[in-house]
Amino acid sequence: MVLEQEIPRFASWIGPAVLQYLTAAAVATVVAAMLTWLAQAIGNGPLAGGDRVYRGVLAGLADILATSPRRVWALARLAIQESLRRNVLVVLAMFALILLFAGWFLDPASVDPRRLYVGFILAATNLLVCLVTLVLAVFSLPADIKSRAIQTVTTKPVHTGEIVLGRILGFATVGTCLLAIMGLAGWAFVVRSVSHGHVLEAADVFDVTNGEGAVSGAEGRTSLDRGRRHRVELDGRGGGVAETAHGHRHRGTVTGTTAAGERTYAVGAPLGLLEARRPLRGKLRFLDREGRPSIKGISVGAEWSYRQYIEGGSAAAAIWTFEGVSPERFPEGLPLEMIVRVFRTYQGNIEDGIHGTIQVRNPTSSLRSESLPIVAREHSIDSLLIPRRINTVMADGSLREVDLFADLASDGRIEVWLQCLEPAQYYGVAQADFYLRAGDGSFAVNYAKSCLGIWYSMLICTALGVMFSTFLSGPVALVAAIATLLVGQFRDFIARLFTSQVTGDSSIVPGGGPIESLYRIVTQTSITLELDPTPAVQVMKVLDTVLLAPMRLAASIFPSLASLGTSDFVAGGFDIPGDLLAAHGAEAAGYALACFIAGVFCLKARELAS
Amino acid sequence: MTQATNRSAPRRDASDVVVETRNLSKVYRDFWGRSKKTALKPLDLDVRRGEIFGLLGPNGAGKTTTLKLLLGLIFPTSGEALVFGRAATDVSKNERIGYLPEESYLYKFLDAEETLDFYGRLFGLDPEERRQRAATLIEMVGLTRDRKRQLREYSKGMTRRIGVAQALINDPELVILDEPTSGLDPIGTREMKDLIIDLKARGKTVIMCSHLLADVEDVCDRIAVLHQGELKELGRVEDLLRVTGVTQIRATGLSPAAAAEVKAVLQRHGAGDIDIGNPRTTLEDLFLEVVRDTEARPGRRARRTETAAQRAE
Ligand SMILES: Nc1ncnc2c1ncn2[C@@H]1O[C@H](COP(=O)(O)OP(=O)(O)OP(=O)(O)O)[C@@H](O)[C@H]1O
Ligand SMILES: [Mg+2]
Repeated sequence: MVLEQEIPRFASWIGPAVLQYLTAAAVATVVAAMLTWLAQAIGNGPLAGGDRVYRGVLAGLADILATSPRRVWALARLAIQESLRRNVLVVLAMFALILLFAGWFLDPASVDPRRLYVGFILAATNLLVCLVTLVLAVFSLPADIKSRAIQTVTTKPVHTGEIVLGRILGFATVGTCLLAIMGLAGWAFVVRSVSHGHVLEAADVFDVTNGEGAVSGAEGRTSLDRGRRHRVELDGRGGGVAETAHGHRHRGTVTGTTAAGERTYAVGAPLGLLEARRPLRGKLRFLDREGRPSIKGISVGAEWSYRQYIEGGSAAAAIWTFEGVSPERFPEGLPLEMIVRVFRTYQGNIEDGIHGTIQVRNPTSSLRSESLPIVAREHSIDSLLIPRRINTVMADGSLREVDLFADLASDGRIEVWLQCLEPAQYYGVAQADFYLRAGDGSFAVNYAKSCLGIWYSMLICTALGVMFSTFLSGPVALVAAIATLLVGQFRDFIARLFTSQVTGDSSIVPGGGPIESLYRIVTQTSITLELDPTPAVQVMKVLDTVLLAPMRLAASIFPSLASLGTSDFVAGGFDIPGDLLAAHGAEAAGYALACFIAGVFCLKARELAS
Repeated sequence: MTQATNRSAPRRDASDVVVETRNLSKVYRDFWGRSKKTALKPLDLDVRRGEIFGLLGPNGAGKTTTLKLLLGLIFPTSGEALVFGRAATDVSKNERIGYLPEESYLYKFLDAEETLDFYGRLFGLDPEERRQRAATLIEMVGLTRDRKRQLREYSKGMTRRIGVAQALINDPELVILDEPTSGLDPIGTREMKDLIIDLKARGKTVIMCSHLLADVEDVCDRIAVLHQGELKELGRVEDLLRVTGVTQIRATGLSPAAAAEVKAVLQRHGAGDIDIGNPRTTLEDLFLEVVRDTEARPGRRARRTETAAQRAE
């Protein structure tokens, strides 16, 4: 899976994040206060306007502080009752329908069925839950205001904050229940869809003989089930493994012999399909073709810059430094797993893969192990167990067996070197592509964690919907919320676009801001072509910057649901790191809090009865 | 509350004033802040503990506007409204208030019991008390048979009844009723009036508005007449309906000759057994007079300023 950024430890992430949050909140508050003051000052003069704003802020804060859990719960119950009476449970029927269609149309024989199923089901769950709570949240308050039912509520000892929080809580509760049901059903569906067995018939198995003519094992192929079949190799003792196909393998065993003298075999459940690997990731650096340290590998221009390439048959190397490596943690040796992309400058034999080597080195003494051969194929995770006892290359070129942890690691740090052997072929790697498999989590728990991520998105949708519904009518609030989420989706792009615009570095985002893009579309100018800096172009660029500045500001505070998504982890078979989940949780809580406070002030400023 | 004694001997004590408005006015504005309608011109009112106060006026006079200002549902353009000595926008005053809106604005997807339970929760009542009060109130407004039906199925009068029930769920000290009898059948109307009088007997203060004169006449202690957002009349019902400067003579068994004689005698001096008093007009007459008067001479305050003097005795 692609990991563009390292996942920071929550403890070190939260401090700066909170600081950034508070800064954004302070700026937003000041801007909002200024705008309100301006609006008030027009009608009442600057002093009276200021007084009103000041009092409004105090009243709002007092209101929030007076929040009573009992009344919040009463209002939340109301929201839940409203949802139920609006037949929100129909959504579950829709989800069932989606599962039905998934069962029909998703191909279990695809290259990576786990990715296909998990990705699809989690995306459907995410979309449905978020959309339902958003729609519920957005239409509820405006409907109350329109039907004036809100008047009967606000003439009870109810604070505005309780109305807003009650709504958020109520719809979030509805969303939680829906999510729980969909999560369970989706998980069961995925497990049922991808798990399968095969049969190994004696007729499909042939003995394999070694050089001296003795039977050393057997080879065969399993039955074709759900579009999959595996090649099987059995050793002399009757155990064996079906080869990895479609991202998984099975364990095969000889169970006995029939009366007719034929062996019977059993093929176990799929392995490596419903897993949640816990990787220990290292830091990546590169050596260039002369063996000098370089910040980057080679960009082959074929892919976007996530992966860097090293040239085969040269001194170029990709080096990962892993920390916290100890015999207690890895008693069997280092379980290295790797995804190596291949970039061919000539075709060669596509079936064969590209040969390379792995070496383990001590980062301080630079004692190195012998080269372990690997063959890189596209689209597969290769694994290599680096054993506890391993040969090292001595200065004179001779080999000597040493202990992996005692001799090749220092202070728990160890280097893994990847080099490509074939000249004019390239290996492409990213930091996240090599890892030590430090353990395995449960797939079910991992799926649940991903659902927790969906829950965060759902919470943001609900809070955002309620916030907009405090001052907009239902349909307008829905559009506003969706627009906000869309802008949030592009927030990284907008940030980069702005940087590109301000620094004039068109390599970050080519093509310029909105006006320049329009100009390029109209004049059919390629986005990679620099425009002549005529005065008109200069003006255009300045205008673009002016237009982009507020977008940049907005982008820095808008939520991005995509960045909260963790289905890639589950689909890729990786355990979702707790640090990531915690950070996302904090982010969701931050948005919910901000929406709550903004909602209270907006609703409080309104005359609910007019 | 201990105002039972206060009621019998009205004192002009500050703590006795439940609702107070000072220069309270309201101009409705549109989205852009342009004024659309002056609904209430500066109004000064006091409502004292234990009385039934009626707001009277034709459609669009500003009655509902006044009540909403008292409840803090809308914000005054100028002046202030104090309820229990606190600003109308102070939420905590609502603990002691029951409000029946113009039309019952309730959640249509709840049934009668759920409705009362919900509003009971908003007052922080505990479950046992909520259940008990809900049962009593549903019984009182005669909805026992329909208590499990969703309000969307209710008729207008039934909705009104459950509206009254929700207004009383917190056993309020001040009950604000916006046209309490609208939509009710004659029996319902009678029951409503009895209820209002009963509330007064239990020491509650009631502010109601209506344009049904008979209702107001039957139950209100004091009334204010609004017209086009302006206060036209304010005083005790009896005082307002007393016609000064006219003497009514009432007697039984008087022959025409005797009547003429009495008349002759009266012209000279008074005699016993003759009922001389102030005849009452009906409220209807008063109402029509106010409206006609304002139409003829707009902008003028009260027709008979002496009523104010009488009130201040
Ligand atoms: N939200 C509003 N926006 C604009 N004008 C309003 C609004 N509410 C009321 N008004 C106007 O204010 C005036 C007073 O209205 P109000 O509802 O107080 O009358 P009312 O005395 O209660 O009448 P009714 O007996 O018909 O209930 C009316 O002219 C009305 O059109
Ligand atoms: Mg009205």
